Amino acid sequence: MISTFFDHELKAFWRSKNTGKSIAVKVVMGILIFILFLYVLALGLFMDKIVAAMSPNEDLTVAFCGIVLVYFLGDLLMRLQLQELPTLKVQPYLHLPVKRNSVVGYLALTALLSFFNLWPIIIFGPFILKIILPASGAVTTIVFIVSIIALSIFNNYLALYIKRKANLNGWIFLMAGAVLTLATCGDYVWHLYSLKAISYLFFGNLIIKPYLVLLPLVLSVAMYYVNFYYLKGNLYLEELSSKKDVIRKSSTEIPFLNRFGNIGDLVANEVKLILRNKRPRSALIMGLFFMFYGLIFYTNPKIGEGFKVFVGMFMTGIFIINYGQFMFSWQAGHFDGLLVSKIKFTDFLKAKYLLFTIVSTVAFILTTPYVYFGWRTVLIHFVMYLWNLGINTTIVLYFANRNYKRIDLSKGASFNWEGVGASQLLLSFPLILFPYLIYLPFKYLGYTNAGLAVLAIIGVAFIITRDFWIKKLEADFYTKRFKIAEGFRNK
Amino acid sequence: MIEIKNLKKIYNGVTVVNVPHLQINKGESIGLVGNNGAGKTTLFRMILDLIRCDSGEVLSNGVNVAGGEAWKNYTASYLDEGFLIDYLTPEEYFYFIGGLHQQNKAQVDEKLAGISEFFNGEIINKGKYIRDLSKGNQCKVGVGACLLQQPELLMLDEPFANIDPSTQFRLKNILKDQNKNHGVTTIVSSHDLNHVTDVCERILLMEKGVVIKDIATSSSTLSELEEYFGVGQSTAAYAVDKEENH
Repeated sequence: MISTFFDHELKAFWRSKNTGKSIAVKVVMGILIFILFLYVLALGLFMDKIVAAMSPNEDLTVAFCGIVLVYFLGDLLMRLQLQELPTLKVQPYLHLPVKRNSVVGYLALTALLSFFNLWPIIIFGPFILKIILPASGAVTTIVFIVSIIALSIFNNYLALYIKRKANLNGWIFLMAGAVLTLATCGDYVWHLYSLKAISYLFFGNLIIKPYLVLLPLVLSVAMYYVNFYYLKGNLYLEELSSKKDVIRKSSTEIPFLNRFGNIGDLVANEVKLILRNKRPRSALIMGLFFMFYGLIFYTNPKIGEGFKVFVGMFMTGIFIINYGQFMFSWQAGHFDGLLVSKIKFTDFLKAKYLLFTIVSTVAFILTTPYVYFGWRTVLIHFVMYLWNLGINTTIVLYFANRNYKRIDLSKGASFNWEGVGASQLLLSFPLILFPYLIYLPFKYLGYTNAGLAVLAIIGVAFIITRDFWIKKLEADFYTKRFKIAEGFRNK
Repeated sequence: MIEIKNLKKIYNGVTVVNVPHLQINKGESIGLVGNNGAGKTTLFRMILDLIRCDSGEVLSNGVNVAGGEAWKNYTASYLDEGFLIDYLTPEEYFYFIGGLHQQNKAQVDEKLAGISEFFNGEIINKGKYIRDLSKGNQCKVGVGACLLQQPELLMLDEPFANIDPSTQFRLKNILKDQNKNHGVTTIVSSHDLNHVTDVCERILLMEKGVVIKDIATSSSTLSELEEYFGVGQSTAAYAVDKEENH
């Protein structure tokens, strides 16, 4: 039975819409994943050098043994955030004469097929083979590898167990987060104990007493069964699904937007779209994190003014880029409804401009504390703010007309490639290159002020002529709307 | 109201809609029937300018719908959940739709009060987003939003499919009332022959993209349709099956 499940699983993978992407995207994704893999592999291969550099006074093995548990603590935190629950897929089998044990066993087994379970082996494997094998012999090596695999399996099921529990009760997640934070603080902030010492206590003794390997093994098997029986007892749709507790949803109003009439209503809807759906919400939150982007670069005195143009553009326009690149896919679910209702496309576009303007203005205001690095920094931010409102909004909307990929709003953001297509890749070129094409020639001729002025003037010119660009975009949209609407209908 | 000329839609070499000429007059109530794949929804979508027709045109009040905006002022439609903005609460959605037609909140509330019986207390102030409603209740929201717009042309695609018997009964009354008392032209597709013959005065039967029958509803229409859909079985026996299927 489980082999049939695996067969279905493979089919689901190959036949899913996400897999059937254009070759270009697949290639780029493949390369990205490969590069990531190489990095992790390199980390594993040079682990001995890194450990030696980090703690030069310690014995390599001792230092290594100290790291392992710390890694698994971080690993658990990452899993809690990113690992997905292999759950809803069992829905079609629940009503069929399939034994519960096989459904649950299948669920529990597929949970192992996660990249997270590969990482510890790639990271620690080479070190163990390079250092521990020659120093301590084959038995210790095997015992180490088995312990690491067992610990990652334990982490795997623990993370899933916490996530499942958290689905039923959101507080569990906060509690788990709090426990993890306390555990970390206990070591690094309050110095009550040392995680390194605990880690060494186990792994150091493992070298002398190989039978200690039973401890992680027992832990992982126990966690597997905890998960297994929990799932078996809760094999009901409402508990499996990733929906949270139903909280009474209230209607909200944004009075500020009322003064813009119909356009304001459209913006209000889009604000609700962003706040009430996971993926656009994380695009917005990502944007907030980008506000710290300047701290990374500005604190480094070697970085010149040219780079501030780039950083300024990102900080004031990250939302335009991050959220705008998937326009109008966010609204794919109700695009037909928008097309047949009494909305002029000009208003629709104006609403997008208004939304971008509001968010960028907020972003600009949030970046004003960078005045600490000189008024000129804020001036550059302001120039790039104008540039974002003038040029980048228009570029993003131009590419939005060429985006035919549906996005399912109910899905989360992490590792979600839905809606990613060639247009997002193409979009990044003009966004990044255009300001430099204009600014750099002036800079090399020694007229940086003139360069900034020209950027500002072009930005303002585009803002003033916005109605013209809206007309152009509208005409463009009318030639493509059937293709867009059809693409959005394809689930 | 609607005039269709030489309308054709071809997918992968298969003609899914082929309507040489069809005239729908103001105030008519049209029922569209046909088996799955007959082209009902495709025809709806072409009338609403949602898909490009391969040839021909759809005129609404004499104006080609393709690329036009004027028809949106008097046309209300609900084909599927894709017409709803599912992350809004029903009230927010109604206010939004009302706002598009220059209605303020008080006016929207007043209109919604008028159809509260249809909603049966399951839509307003339930504290749910539209996406969390059942399919039947989503359909109620869609139909409610249509009525809110006070349309001259009302188009519903299989509105009876997901709603409970009481709501089906109320919806039929609403459709009749809109048509008789407000002069609204209604186009409704359905698999339920009883409902469609009850509500509509004119039945269009589609098969493989072609309107093969265009009949004014009379006492014999139901049995005529049952005979067509019964495909070779004794009509009376099959008619019962047909109902149970829905």
